[in-house]
Amino acid sequence: MDRVKFRTQILNRHLHRPSLSSPSSSIEPSICLQYSPPELAETSQFDTRSMRELMDNHNFADRDWLYGLMIQNKLFCSKERGGKLFVSPDYNQSMEQQREMTMKRIGYLLDCGVFEGWLTGKGVESELRKFSFLEVIGMFDHSLAIKIGVHFFLWGGAVQFFGTKRHHEKWLKDTENYKVKGCFAMTELGHGSNVRGIETITTYDSNTGEFVINTPCESAQKYWIGGAANHATHTIVFSQLNIDGKNQGVHAFIAQIRDSDGNVCPNIRISDCGHKIGLNGVDNGRIWFDNVRIPRENLLNSVADVSLDGKYLSAITDPDQRFAAFLAPLTSGRVTIAAAAIYSSKISLAIAIRYSLTRRAFSVSPNGPEVLLLDYPSHQRRLLPLLAKTYAMSFAENYLKMLYVKRTPELIKTIHVVSSAFKATLTWHNMRTLQECREACGGQGLKTENRVGHLKSEYDVQSTFEGDNNVLMQQVSKALLAEYVAAKKRNKPFNGLGLDHMNKSCPVIPSKPTSSTLRSVEFQTNIFCLRERDLLNRFAAEVSQHQGQGESKEHALIVSYQLAEDLGRAFSDRAILQTILEAETTLSAGPLKNILGLLRSMYTLITLEEDAAFLRYGYLSTDTAAAVRKEVAKLCSELRPHALALVSSFGIPDAFLSPIAFNWVDANSWSSVQD
Amino acid sequence: MAPVSSTSTETDQVLVEEKSFARMFTLNRPKQLNALSFQMISRLRDLFFACEQECSIKLIILKAKGRAFCAGGDVAAVVRDISQGNWRLGANYFGKEFSLNYLMATYSKPQVSILNGIVMGGGAGASIHGRFRVATENSVFAMPETALGLFPDVGASYFLSRLPGFFGEYLGLTGSRLDGAEMLACGLATHFVPSERLSSLEEALLKVDSSDPAVISATINEFSQVPNLKEKSVYRWLDIIDRCFSRRTCEEIILALEREALINSDDWISSTIQSLKKASPTSLKISLRSIREGRLQGVGQCLVREYRMVCHILRGEVSKDFSEGCRAILLDKDKNPKWEPSKLELISDNMVDRYFSKVDDEDWEDLKLPARPNLPAHAISKL
Repeated sequence: MDRVKFRTQILNRHLHRPSLSSPSSSIEPSICLQYSPPELAETSQFDTRSMRELMDNHNFADRDWLYGLMIQNKLFCSKERGGKLFVSPDYNQSMEQQREMTMKRIGYLLDCGVFEGWLTGKGVESELRKFSFLEVIGMFDHSLAIKIGVHFFLWGGAVQFFGTKRHHEKWLKDTENYKVKGCFAMTELGHGSNVRGIETITTYDSNTGEFVINTPCESAQKYWIGGAANHATHTIVFSQLNIDGKNQGVHAFIAQIRDSDGNVCPNIRISDCGHKIGLNGVDNGRIWFDNVRIPRENLLNSVADVSLDGKYLSAITDPDQRFAAFLAPLTSGRVTIAAAAIYSSKISLAIAIRYSLTRRAFSVSPNGPEVLLLDYPSHQRRLLPLLAKTYAMSFAENYLKMLYVKRTPELIKTIHVVSSAFKATLTWHNMRTLQECREACGGQGLKTENRVGHLKSEYDVQSTFEGDNNVLMQQVSKALLAEYVAAKKRNKPFNGLGLDHMNKSCPVIPSKPTSSTLRSVEFQTNIFCLRERDLLNRFAAEVSQHQGQGESKEHALIVSYQLAEDLGRAFSDRAILQTILEAETTLSAGPLKNILGLLRSMYTLITLEEDAAFLRYGYLSTDTAAAVRKEVAKLCSELRPHALALVSSFGIPDAFLSPIAFNWVDANSWSSVQD
Repeated sequence: MAPVSSTSTETDQVLVEEKSFARMFTLNRPKQLNALSFQMISRLRDLFFACEQECSIKLIILKAKGRAFCAGGDVAAVVRDISQGNWRLGANYFGKEFSLNYLMATYSKPQVSILNGIVMGGGAGASIHGRFRVATENSVFAMPETALGLFPDVGASYFLSRLPGFFGEYLGLTGSRLDGAEMLACGLATHFVPSERLSSLEEALLKVDSSDPAVISATINEFSQVPNLKEKSVYRWLDIIDRCFSRRTCEEIILALEREALINSDDWISSTIQSLKKASPTSLKISLRSIREGRLQGVGQCLVREYRMVCHILRGEVSKDFSEGCRAILLDKDKNPKWEPSKLELISDNMVDRYFSKVDDEDWEDLKLPARPNLPAHAISKL
């Protein structure tokens, strides 16, 4: 009843504004309609510059340079809204226009020297710079990053890793300066994740010393090939290699598909994949090969070769191992995808949180001021746990990146498992974050210029390309099972993949943990390790039970999918926790360390709350689960004062956010319409 | 009509005229080309603060006596302090100056600066942040700090980085001079008024009973003209400037210029290379980094960062180029500074990083900017 009266009063005030009719009083908008920058009300308790450096981890000045290159050039469509400048592609352009703009932007970045050393550079330093540049480019536009990623990481990476000296000398420099434009034809209509099943077939003609590539059936057409529809001049072709009637498995070849004028080569047919839900700045195409002849030297022969007279030569006789050795270097794609996912989450959270610190809705008392969105505990609960997760996963990505750039042959398995787990977890997290941020921005989230809504369609593809997330997670649990079996069989301790906690005795979880216990490193580590350990035991038991009933191992793994999924998540969550913990440990006591502690607790406790496995298998009692829930709410209110500083620490330039992150009243004013 | 303030005497370094709607401040240290003394900065700060409170005041006019608007900060005094081992006095000077710059950048009433002469360094800081900058045929703009072993401060990392393309990097690194027409073309000036019309402009401005930028701009427009760029104007080289000064590092910028010199024999390119090679290598590196960070920051953050940088320079931990530059250019005038480190290649990223870190001294604090009631959009940045 009171509520009704209250609303009536408000409506009444809106309808009869006394100030408007009285000429003596000045006409000023009421307080709720005035934009007040969040910086005026929120103070930062820690040094955001140091936090940015902790998060970005490397090449800060290089990143700033590249941000500046984009802001200063009109190709990046900067426009002013509400007194501030924003860059963004014009997503209202046609697919064809967007593709041409993507190519023009690449040309500009090339002229500025951004790509120098991307393939010819050596060492960790140049590799990290390359990663940082790709991350920054992706923050402007996912299409631009993907188009560049395909050319350098897939085409260029294949030449680099699958090829040998003759390929490096011939192609790398020309790729780096875009004399050739490369694409990467692996996926087919009928085969995606199961690369070994592809149907494209290549034979060798010893009379001419050439390979002959064929698309034998419609399901063998190459599909989703980025760059193929319009621009690429060359492609890596993945194909079965048939020598003297014997199939030697999947190999990679270089084939030219267009001449330098852009005309499609003879015996090649190309068709467009058409308009997509996102990434329309990338020209995905389909390719058919009709007896395409390529020189023998175009086989990328790091693992296997064919002699002039047509003999198949390989140091690795086992085709399984050959295939694994072959694909190992492609993990760079998963490293960059996981990074792009995190930066996309950062953009959306920075926008949604800044908006929630300036947008008000409803008052709690009659005539009282309306309340800031982020001052509602429910709104905090929607955004702040995602913020904490983004922080934790940002450290996870940094760890993965360093693991990758410092790779050694012994680390290949670890890199494969960690990159699979993190790629899946971080990209799923990103989609969830984008959706929540979109909704948290209300109607404004629907405008393309505000980014958060649009990013959903741009980043959706991440859960599919470079390995379907579900398939990747299955591989994670499969790899963990293999470790388990090996350790048990040889009766040796676990070693690697962070499983050494399995060697210790089973951790005991206190039955009535206090608030400070819930926030302790010990409790948090123990509960995550307990879950991983128990799930691994259960998974191994279930698989062996099925095998005991005479089922094949493959079938046993397939039917045990529920435990496999739980286990994959358990591994990933525990590995992420370790990375943020490590970051926290390296800091000396102070505000920065404290805030990371809060974020780490939030990350852990929200995971405990969200993953049903903790209750399902009884790692948490219902009482403890209730205590966790309370603690999450408490952590929300403790993180609330840091919200602005935490998103400022992402180090995203204003121009890469959107109008609702700043003065959205001015940005939408009538005078801005008339400009 | 309005009385001239009774406090204004010959010895005052800032003259104040109180008109009905405006306050007119005149920099009055013509022999020193109106170089900003500590006293002038404090006075201007007090005056600006006071005028903001006074409802009847609608606009501020800032001009200067003599042939210079303002040739910069009073660097000679600062160097004296350093040589006496007193870097804190210098830091105090810069802190005060940067606060004034911030006040002007976030000022609620329009400031019209009449730039009828030299506008360099601190002079640019006292004018470019304001709403209107009127250039004349006598204007000479430059940020010459890299030749002194300093870097473009007074918020220059904010305003230089927002010039078209990479013109800001060019001006900040080379210290190249602009005339009034060029200042207008690149946006450092908002209007160009021939000096003979300045007194009429002043008269008209004093009659404006409004703080509305559109009204004031329209008033200045009545006296403005669009001057032609001179035939040899640097602004005609914008393409080459963008190509070269967009490069990632100072070394690459010089390399790019040298490549351009091979295909284009104009004197401009060689003199640009010359000025880069004459400048302090440390100054070049920190200036480039500063402008690029500044491009992504609000004006307040730029000033806070520049204050850190200037404190490191005053302490002379990494390089003592500032003292050396002042010795060679201002004191001994031999124009032959011995920079240390002497080459760009000798300066590591870590050395550059140090200028951007907090000063390692217990009593030192980051610059505290005055609280401002209504931050304009450009002052807000979250990086």
